[in-house]
Amino acid sequence: MSNVLIKMDNIKKYYRSGSDTVSALQEITLQIGRGESAAVMGASGSGKSTLLSIVGGLNRPSGGKILIDDLDLYALPGERLADFRREYIGFVFQQFQLIPYLTALENVLLPLTTAGYSRPEKYERALNALERVSMTGRKNHLPNQLSGGEQERVAIARAIVNEPPLVLADEPTGSLDSRTAGEIMELFQDLGESGLTILMVTHNPENAAYMQRLITMQDGLVTDDSKKPEPLASGRIALAGNAGGVR
Amino acid sequence: MNLYSIALRNIWRKKTRALLITSGLIVGIATAVALFLTVESMRLALGDQIDEFGSNIVIVPRAEGMDISYGGAHVSRASIDLKQLELSDLEAIKEIPDFNSINIISPKMVAAVNVNGKEALLVGIEPNREFIMKPWYTLAAQSGLNGGEGIRGLAMADLKPEGIIAGAEAAAALELQAGSQITINGQNFVVQGILNPLGSAEDGLFFANLAAVQTLLGRPGEISMVEISAYCNACPVEELAAQISAVLPNGEVTALRQAALIREETIDKFSAFSILLSAVALTIAALLVFTTMMAAVHERTREIGIFRALGFRKSHIIRIFFIEAGLVGLLGGGAGYLAGNLVASLAGTYLTGSAVPATWQPELFYQALLLSTTVALIASAFPAGRAAGLNPAEALRFI
Ligand SMILES: Nc1ncnc2c1ncn2[C@@H]1O[C@H](COP(=O)(O)OP(=O)(O)OP(=O)(O)O)[C@@H](O)[C@H]1O
Ligand SMILES: [Mg+2]
Repeated sequence: MSNVLIKMDNIKKYYRSGSDTVSALQEITLQIGRGESAAVMGASGSGKSTLLSIVGGLNRPSGGKILIDDLDLYALPGERLADFRREYIGFVFQQFQLIPYLTALENVLLPLTTAGYSRPEKYERALNALERVSMTGRKNHLPNQLSGGEQERVAIARAIVNEPPLVLADEPTGSLDSRTAGEIMELFQDLGESGLTILMVTHNPENAAYMQRLITMQDGLVTDDSKKPEPLASGRIALAGNAGGVR
Repeated sequence: MNLYSIALRNIWRKKTRALLITSGLIVGIATAVALFLTVESMRLALGDQIDEFGSNIVIVPRAEGMDISYGGAHVSRASIDLKQLELSDLEAIKEIPDFNSINIISPKMVAAVNVNGKEALLVGIEPNREFIMKPWYTLAAQSGLNGGEGIRGLAMADLKPEGIIAGAEAAAALELQAGSQITINGQNFVVQGILNPLGSAEDGLFFANLAAVQTLLGRPGEISMVEISAYCNACPVEELAAQISAVLPNGEVTALRQAALIREETIDKFSAFSILLSAVALTIAALLVFTTMMAAVHERTREIGIFRALGFRKSHIIRIFFIEAGLVGLLGGGAGYLAGNLVASLAGTYLTGSAVPATWQPELFYQALLLSTTVALIASAFPAGRAAGLNPAEALRFI
């Protein structure tokens, strides 16, 4: 097992709408190590979400190659890509994206639905995941009975329930107040410390500070890529006095 | 949590929508079932009718205003201006071109007589012709049986000159048993056999040999009616009737089967119309399922995107929609079957005049389920495919 989990080589992405072609990713060559946590920042439209969806096996690049765990993602035959997402990727979306008619527990069970676990095994895993985000007590509540932060926790539990090596988060705290956002970021930090690889898009430098690495994008290109030697403490301190300033 | 529970939740969550599709399917299936049952009962009734005519050509003496009702109560003995039909006249039938199509010619004499002091109808027949033509006449009892002899056939084929075969009702009315002595118009006869009940007017008749009846009435050689059974594929029965009519100037020849055939044709047309109507109703149901499912796919784009991001395969998405459609289809099929039965028994009888037997038909029930589910699945195939084909990245983009 190599130390590199994600290996992007010359990834390009064009969107064609009518006669116009939008170049969302111009040329991305990037490696992310196993267990690394990275924040992706950049102006709106710089291609962050596109990058994330390509890494997540949701969006076929127009050019280039992406290997995850030495697996050539987009060379996988049809339905195998779906299986790959289930086994390798945990998604956390901005608006939590819980299924509104399913309870917290059922939402967490979703990624296990198509996996080959026994029923008790599924429940055990789901309850464990809820435990990790401290949501066991609300397991039978529907999303609209939960606060934004709580929904976010359930979404994180859903992302990690299959124990994927990689969690992709697109502005996960975008709609949370700064205090709740801080709690969520600490949760992500804990996940990162437990060995999970995290790639997170954020507009908030304070959130980015929780990550070990900061990737900055502009016009579909990576313009800056820096590792932070001491991100954890500063992040926590910064948050303590935060009175706003999230987005 | 599995695909079924997801599908069930969605149905439950959109009860009104599910109800709408179900109603559409119910109407479609009920239409098909009700029409099918109605046509079926019409055919059954027709089958009875055709069976009742063992003969398909009937010849009676030609007479204007003459009222002869075979098996009915009114048989006029008065022969005011009646052209007589003689047994010997029938020889002429052998000359017709399609004589080979004729199976049995059964001449008879029908007369109102006095049996043991009561009015009754006596039919003189040639037993080996009449009873072969009407194989549904069977004996319930017969006299003079030797050991080892079965009840069937003996007395009927071998009716003695003084022998009588009594219909079930006739025997009951006069309290007759096999072997009973009776007097008809003052002359002695023996009840040689008693027929099983047929549930028709024939139950009230007495049968004797034609010759015996002619002698009894003092009208030797005369007949009041001829029944002919003919099987002709190449020529229509009415053609045969016309040929006979040409050689029998004294007889009025009627092709009986024609009425039944016309009715059968009507039923065939109604059946074709029913199929068309059912197809239209089911197509409308299918369109309803289709549009509703398309709307559901559109509405659930986000959800589908999430499912796909969480590792659901395209086939899983298709299965969710198919399970939903299938369940609704089963529901619509079951309820449609019941509704169809209800409509058939209420309206069918009224519309067609034939009683629809309100019987539980498991086969039709399963067919209704199958048909409804198939319609629901076919109508959902495109929407489900559309759902599965959604680009998850796109689906999640606009949220
Ligand atoms: N499906 C699409 N069709 C057409 N253009 C698209 C599509 N998806 C993205 N784009 C375009 O590609 C570019 C990059 O989009 P992307 O969503 O990756 O940006 P982003 O960095 O995530 O922006 P934001 O911070 O606003 O979320 C934008 O110009 C966008 O309009
Ligand atoms: Mg974005």
